[in-house]
Amino acid sequence: MKPTPVRRILWVIAIVIALGLLMAGLARAQPVHIKDDKGREISLPRPPQRIVSLLPSLTESVCELEQCHRLVGVDRYSNWPEAVVGRLPKVGGGLDPSIEAIVALKPDVVLMSVSSRASDRLEALGLTVVQLEPKTHADVRRVLGTVSDLLGVPRAQGADRLWRVIDAGVEAAAQSLPPKARNARVYFEVSRGPYGAGEASFIGESLTRLGVRNVVPASLGPFPRLNPEFVVRANPDIIMIGNRSMQAMVPYPGWATMRAIRENRLCVFGPGDSDVVVRPGPRMAEAARIMARCLAEKAPPESPAAPSPSPSGGGRTQWPGKASSTGALAGATPVASTVGDAGAGDSCT
Amino acid sequence: MTIAFIHLHQSRRAAWCAAWLLLASAVLAVCGASVGSTGFDSVLRMHGDPVAWQIVWDIRLPRTLGAWLAGALLGLSGAVAQGLFRNPLADPYLLGSASGAALGGAVAMALFGVSPVAAQWMARIGITGMAFLGAAGAVVLTLILARGVQHTLRLLLAGVIVGVVLGAVRDLVELASPDILQAMQAFTLGSTAFVGWMACALMAVVWVLCSVVAWMLARALDGLTLGEATAASLGLPLMPMRVGLVAAMALATGTAVAQTGLIAFVGLAAPHLVRSIVRVTHERHIVLSSLMGAVLLMAADILARWLLAPQELPVGVLTAALGGTYLLWLMHRRTAQGGAL
Amino acid sequence: MNSVAISARQIGASIGNRLILQGIDLQLPAGRWTSIVGPNGAGKSTLLKVLAGLLPHAAVQGEVQLLGRPLAQIPARERARQLAWLGQNEGSADDLTSYDVAMLGRLPHQPWLAPPSAADHAAVEQALRTTQAWDWRHRPLSQLSGGERQRVLLARALAVQAQVLLMDEPLANLDPPHQTDWLHTMRALVDAGGTVVSVLHEVSLALQADDMVVMAAGRVLHQGACDAPATHAALEEVFDHRIRVRHLDGLWMALPSLERKNNQGNKGLEA
Repeated sequence: MKPTPVRRILWVIAIVIALGLLMAGLARAQPVHIKDDKGREISLPRPPQRIVSLLPSLTESVCELEQCHRLVGVDRYSNWPEAVVGRLPKVGGGLDPSIEAIVALKPDVVLMSVSSRASDRLEALGLTVVQLEPKTHADVRRVLGTVSDLLGVPRAQGADRLWRVIDAGVEAAAQSLPPKARNARVYFEVSRGPYGAGEASFIGESLTRLGVRNVVPASLGPFPRLNPEFVVRANPDIIMIGNRSMQAMVPYPGWATMRAIRENRLCVFGPGDSDVVVRPGPRMAEAARIMARCLAEKAPPESPAAPSPSPSGGGRTQWPGKASSTGALAGATPVASTVGDAGAGDSCT
Repeated sequence: MTIAFIHLHQSRRAAWCAAWLLLASAVLAVCGASVGSTGFDSVLRMHGDPVAWQIVWDIRLPRTLGAWLAGALLGLSGAVAQGLFRNPLADPYLLGSASGAALGGAVAMALFGVSPVAAQWMARIGITGMAFLGAAGAVVLTLILARGVQHTLRLLLAGVIVGVVLGAVRDLVELASPDILQAMQAFTLGSTAFVGWMACALMAVVWVLCSVVAWMLARALDGLTLGEATAASLGLPLMPMRVGLVAAMALATGTAVAQTGLIAFVGLAAPHLVRSIVRVTHERHIVLSSLMGAVLLMAADILARWLLAPQELPVGVLTAALGGTYLLWLMHRRTAQGGAL
Repeated sequence: MNSVAISARQIGASIGNRLILQGIDLQLPAGRWTSIVGPNGAGKSTLLKVLAGLLPHAAVQGEVQLLGRPLAQIPARERARQLAWLGQNEGSADDLTSYDVAMLGRLPHQPWLAPPSAADHAAVEQALRTTQAWDWRHRPLSQLSGGERQRVLLARALAVQAQVLLMDEPLANLDPPHQTDWLHTMRALVDAGGTVVSVLHEVSLALQADDMVVMAAGRVLHQGACDAPATHAALEEVFDHRIRVRHLDGLWMALPSLERKNNQGNKGLEA
């Protein structure tokens, strides 16, 4: 007699389920082969479960790939997402980490930047070190892919999906710009020096995608140190200052005559926004949104000759999706004090 | 100071000084193994927990020993420099080795990011190797500029010039790749965080070598205290001896700086501290300065790791604080007693 | 004793671009004490350095012979054992004790890397006692007065126990009792067979030596016994007759001429 079809079907279903679980499990436990930014090949028998990250953009990448739970330690500058990362032990800076603290955490892999001496020491102690440092949009995409492979997250759900989201976000930010903001000429200052963000940097690339022009040409490199005179001569329409410190309060000599300063077309990003904008990581879409907001606010009208009153009015503006503090609009006040207020929080006055 | 202590024969005092310094080294070594971000627990759990064992054995002990050896190298160089230049303000960085090492480190860090070919070659030497090459190159440049070791003043001047020029070149390198700025700052402030057992072995070998060379040539330094002409009249072959001393100094300084960065003040303060306790000829003065520098840097490193644990202070800040405070107190005591400084 | 301790032939020396010595021919006899005198800038210190072989070869023309052998061919350590040199205003070893400084004089005798031997200690003790510096042998030089320091440096030169002793202004900072002591020491050395050459600007003390060399403007004007009238005449002449040499209590002395300047043309007035 033949066995009943029901039992056969049940057996087949059981075997299929078992195989499926096995495959899923194997997919998780596949050995990992990646190549880091220093050109080294790294192989691990299974994706790492305990990760220490010493670069904020890499921390954010891991979390955006939904593997935040695998982080056991971060550097002191990683601060997003607050809920998870805030509770993790901090093991020092990215360039001068506490070797002992890292070893005590028993990580499977340590993610860090290329320009750090600690890598030799950590490797000498037997830890696996993956060095990645994105500098352009293409780099960010590649690094996302590498991290995705390292974590054993299939590209389709991990890096590629994330990149599509980022890309769409940047595109949307570009679309949201009013016409008057397009073709505005922008100067982005990264830190006091002045160090500007050129077209070749990831910030510059974001600005290009937003449709504005950068006064710092690509020929000068990604983050050149400029002569303040250069900026005065270039006469940007909008100035963005992306550092966290209060340095914006002291303008450079000779800048007071610049049109952008006189007309208060100045965006000073507070600590929260600053972190988003200067990190080449998965929050680049948000960075683009922040910059687009600034451009929409501050772009000069079509006829540059018309004087534009600085946006006044009280009340706080709560930007959608932002958890940072609000800024206080100070009305038509001189540049210095406005900029000072701007330093108090998230604002684009 | 009682009269009896003053009349105690200097060489016995020197022996006591050495013994105390060695004892202090041993005590501090134990402290060094107990201090760090995970505190004393690691020592207690050493036998059971392999990670605790690794922390104590592979991280803390080589750091502590490395601090001792780097301090010994700097103390040795400082004593030789002060003897060679007959200047109590001389320190081991006078011949430009500090600027050379910093430039080597900066070039290494800058090239790492730029060219993969250079990166491969550089990976073998490492930042440490490049820093050492930079230090050695700077000293050679100084010697060439000064056209030999005969004229002390010319040597000093050439060293200062080389230091300034190489510092400017380093600034240019940092301008070209500003992302190394923070790493360079970490380098210039000095730290023992990157010292492992291999580095310790290297420094130990160099220390023994330089100590032997300096000890053998210490006579030249003694003779030079009486003046160049008198030293020559005593039959000392000054030229080759000076070359040997400069080479020992450069090797010791370059090695220390390459491993632990630019730690100021140890080379300057250690010989003075020794001289405040005991006055002996250079053979013993060099050895004692070496031991004193070792203890000074070891103590500073332990404090650096302990004061703000789990964070670390830069050790150069602490060496300046420790050594400077003691020297200030010494000055105050001397002027209070009315003696010459 | 007829042998020559140091002989110098056709010596010329220049420092930088300046010609300091020219055409010097000198035979310094062994076993006698010669003093070298002359006005400031006569080249006395330079001459002493040339005789000690301390100027670079490029700066010196002519030949110097030490105890019959050309100086340039004697190995440095052997020369250091035969010839001790005490300089003027050389660097000071402020941090070493007096004993250690005096011990430095034994360097030419100590083999490489050897600790001081009993003979070294004996020599240092004898030298320190001779200059009366033994009592504070454990004090560092920085705590000594100028005179005490000079005595330690003298002890250093004596500790070499060399046959020939060249000294440049050895009496700097010494008070009269110690100057007298030094005279006695030199006399004793010479009586024991050594040779002493000293540059002195205290002319009266220089006159107590056996021989005198009178120098001016880089040349030797006169060499002769200290009690010879020709030497006295040369001495008075080289100092523009501002001094006169007189015999007093069995010693030759140089006394200042207190006549006015406009009398310079006359040779010594009072008898």
